[in-house]
Amino acid sequence: MSTTRHHINRQRRRRARDTRPAAVSPESTGRRTRAGDDAVRSPSGSPDGDRTADRKPAVPRTSREPAGAPGARPRRRRPVVLLVLCALTVLLGGFAGWAHAKAEALRDEPARRNTALTDLARTSEIKGRTAEAVDRLFSYDHTDPGALDKAARDLLTGKAVDQHRALLADVRERADAQKAVITTVVTESAVERIDGARARVLVYADQSSVATAGGEAAGGKAAEQDTGVYAGALLAVDVVHREGRWLVSGIDTFGR
Amino acid sequence: MKRAVRALTAHRPRALSSLLVALGLAAGGFAAWAGQDWYAAAHDGTAAYAEQRDRALAAGEQAVLNLNTLDHRDVDQGLDLWESSTTGELHEQLSTGRDEFAEQVREAKTVTTARVLSGAVTELDDRAGRARVLVALRVTVRASDGARTDKDSRMLGELTRTGGRWKLSALGQAPVGGAPTG
Repeated sequence: MSTTRHHINRQRRRRARDTRPAAVSPESTGRRTRAGDDAVRSPSGSPDGDRTADRKPAVPRTSREPAGAPGARPRRRRPVVLLVLCALTVLLGGFAGWAHAKAEALRDEPARRNTALTDLARTSEIKGRTAEAVDRLFSYDHTDPGALDKAARDLLTGKAVDQHRALLADVRERADAQKAVITTVVTESAVERIDGARARVLVYADQSSVATAGGEAAGGKAAEQDTGVYAGALLAVDVVHREGRWLVSGIDTFGR
Repeated sequence: MKRAVRALTAHRPRALSSLLVALGLAAGGFAAWAGQDWYAAAHDGTAAYAEQRDRALAAGEQAVLNLNTLDHRDVDQGLDLWESSTTGELHEQLSTGRDEFAEQVREAKTVTTARVLSGAVTELDDRAGRARVLVALRVTVRASDGARTDKDSRMLGELTRTGGRWKLSALGQAPVGGAPTG
């Protein structure tokens, strides 16, 4: 049964091709006609007769079958088209990979990874927190030695704990002997580098030492110490962001 | 049966070509995305700012180092370097006092060298071409009798960009002792 229909279809196709040479590929026409068959086969039982009328409505076939369906000649061109498509895919994919690598490389440049100053909010936050930390960590009041211990517990982490202890041991001893108050105030600071949760800050600080009972300890120098002795301090502080807080993880006094 | 075979043979090139088209489109989409991503990365304003920051710092450290380096045996070359590292008011100051200063150094027979301990930019105005830097130095002065003294210097520098290059326009020690800083 299908053989007959196909035969008829083929004939019609041949006829159509004669009138419009490069219209429709045999495959697609064949398929469509068959589909048309099923759809059109009406209860009236005369599919072939009606079909021509049904299948060739006012709309011309060329517009119903647009460029998508290649004709007989394009069929041979198909491998070429596919090859071009392949090449295009490879080229585009290659470019995409290359461009992606380029972009990543650019983002990975050390200059960009360092967000000091480019991220102003973070920069000033780090400056502020570091200055507070240094003020607390390097100030000592002989009447309240616990404050320094608390500061150390709150603000230090890692190797900075030992560094701080070593730096302050001497100072504490002398301050206790002289009943002195040592006050450290950061005067200038700048963030050298921010890399994610880590940062390094260069700090200039003033340290003043006031001996409240210098009598026996320092003798003649007591009067001078009462007015306060200032010294400029220089240090670089490594800080790390942990649990919403910036902790000091390293103290560099440049070998002093 | 025949129909199925036909449908198959008809489908295969179609499936292949639509697969290829889909792949091509995907590749095209990815290429477009990667391309614009690359463009964005290359024309990122933040990146340009970061680059200026690093250039300002490098120039600032070098200039401060230059201004803390002087050999009495080669004063002229040293002072030429001082002048080429500076601009504006600082440059004026250096060139007006140059002869007198050169004489002093020759008499004192000192050799001053320095090493940058650390440096950082505090402020950067990319458009105006101005920046402030902190540069910590260890300055070594060797006197004529061979005595060596080491001293740490806490410098505050101001840089101005002239002709695409950052140069020092002001330089001073960070004050100690409660004096206002600036």
